Amino acid sequence: MKNKYCIYSFFISLFLSGCDPLVTSFNDVEDAVMYQSNRIIEYPAKRSISVMTWNIRFGVARLDFALDACGDRVIISKGEVITGLEGIAKKINESNVDIVLMQEVDVQSKRSSYVDQVQWLLNNTVMNYGAYASKWKSQIILADGIGRVDAGNLILSKWKLEDAKRHQLPLRGDQDGLTQLFYLRRNVVTAKVDMPGTPFFAVNAHLTAFATDDTKQKHIAGFKNILDDIVSNGFSFVAGGDLNAIPPNATKTNYCYDDQCEIGDYDPTDEKKGGCDFTEEINWLNDLYGSYEPAITLEQYGMNESKHYSHSPGDKLKLDRKLDYLWTNTSWSNGTTHQNATTLSDHIPITAVWEVE
Amino acid sequence: MRKATILFMFSFITAQWSSESAYLLEKNRKEVGIFTPFKMGMSNGSELGVNKFLLMPSLSLKQEMSMYKSWKMARKFRVEYPTAGLKWIQSPLGGEMGDPNMFSLISTQFTIPHMLSFFTEFIGTKGGVKSGQLSLRAGAGIALNTKDLSSDATIDLPIIYPRLSVYYNDFVILSGAEYIRQISDKFYYLIDYDMYLMPGSAGRYAFEQQSLLVWQKSSKISLSFGYKLIVGEYPYGGQAHLLPNINLKFGW
Repeated sequence: MKNKYCIYSFFISLFLSGCDPLVTSFNDVEDAVMYQSNRIIEYPAKRSISVMTWNIRFGVARLDFALDACGDRVIISKGEVITGLEGIAKKINESNVDIVLMQEVDVQSKRSSYVDQVQWLLNNTVMNYGAYASKWKSQIILADGIGRVDAGNLILSKWKLEDAKRHQLPLRGDQDGLTQLFYLRRNVVTAKVDMPGTPFFAVNAHLTAFATDDTKQKHIAGFKNILDDIVSNGFSFVAGGDLNAIPPNATKTNYCYDDQCEIGDYDPTDEKKGGCDFTEEINWLNDLYGSYEPAITLEQYGMNESKHYSHSPGDKLKLDRKLDYLWTNTSWSNGTTHQNATTLSDHIPITAVWEVE
Repeated sequence: MRKATILFMFSFITAQWSSESAYLLEKNRKEVGIFTPFKMGMSNGSELGVNKFLLMPSLSLKQEMSMYKSWKMARKFRVEYPTAGLKWIQSPLGGEMGDPNMFSLISTQFTIPHMLSFFTEFIGTKGGVKSGQLSLRAGAGIALNTKDLSSDATIDLPIIYPRLSVYYNDFVILSGAEYIRQISDKFYYLIDYDMYLMPGSAGRYAFEQQSLLVWQKSSKISLSFGYKLIVGEYPYGGQAHLLPNINLKFGW
């Protein structure tokens, strides 16, 4: 009898342990995945810390990827991905930044030929440590031949990262259950940067782009709540990411005609199209601007909007909107939008210097 | 003589339902399973198999060979044309890329050329189902493609990846074993494994092991259930999967 139970237990445990979920879902808060470079460089503490935020579009630069642009490709070859990553690594190394907040980083995705981009970037830049949080993780996406995917947000740091957490944001409320199951699980990743003498938090977010309901508003509020918690615990933070929202004083708020793949694709009488019309969302960042310090202030942005544009879709090299931001609870200097990097991704990096207080 | 008679009796029992052994279906007996091809016993000491999935037609022929010591021997040839099926998988619902093209397993950016694969296997079987029947098999497959199929166009899923690997890699080596034993009048258990060696491919091997409890209700219906454990290497690395395994077969 005892033997029988042992045999049953063995097979049940085998079944459970062998079953990786088809789609990975996440707890509200869980540990981020930690990485480190294959060669560690020692860095002393600094008074001025250079921070970058960059949505790197999984290393495919401006190639005609089908799902976020007007292209007809879903699988990008390994050679093309490595070329894309080389451009990104070069920019990071040249910029001599200390902390990088990255969005759209693939670690095991068929679309980017399964290059572990986190490890590749650590091994090919001056950064030492990484904290990664998946936003899309599935053994198979049953559409367009996408296949296996694991993509997410990444914090890169010269100093050790501790207590790195993945904070789940609400799922899109405008999708049916099946689509929602296989869709992105947006998150904010936080980590305590163990800079000798002055630990601080790095916070990285990539908020929803295409929701047509109030999901983006919830994401912005969720992001801000995390920042509030850090401050209330007595720490300072450098935060940023692709918020998929435009500044409240942006003069142009609707890009739906600009984003058409072919003239006539967009019909304003159709049901609401997400991701191109920011008109109703124009005030959603007010709370962040009111509470924390941006690297590019609203005054700076208002004086010369185009100078601070950080995105244009697909292979359109002319940047036309600002979606990417850096924030802190203290102060920035030298906020720069690196528009010369427009060929390296559909977003460009923004850097600023954070003065340690 | 007595040994030969017993062997004949055992062969009759196993011949009632097909298996991966060297035994063949009886002449004119036909069977089909939900997850197994249509099979028919022929008059010339052979067994014909046809894939039910017409978009991926395949034809197999299993032939008896002369005994080797106490081993009953057979050889099996199979030819498969996957092009139509793979093209269909690119867009099963007729959608276009970015629509989204639902249920597409291969991106439409890839061209699927005309392809034909040829497999040869040798099978040896020893013993009978009452005391335990062991079958061993080994073989190889090659593919002829009119144009190269991109190695980025693979379907990186268990079961599917090794079975299609020949079209990306031109060559696959197969081996397997099966052990079946009767445990009561209508119940049998079956343990088998399949090994796919894909030298030069991004995923170099796949090992599949299944254990099944088989209920042969009559000569017309057989139900089996159990598990299939798959340990394999894929373009992204190694992974194990444990899947439930159920099959219903009809014979006449």
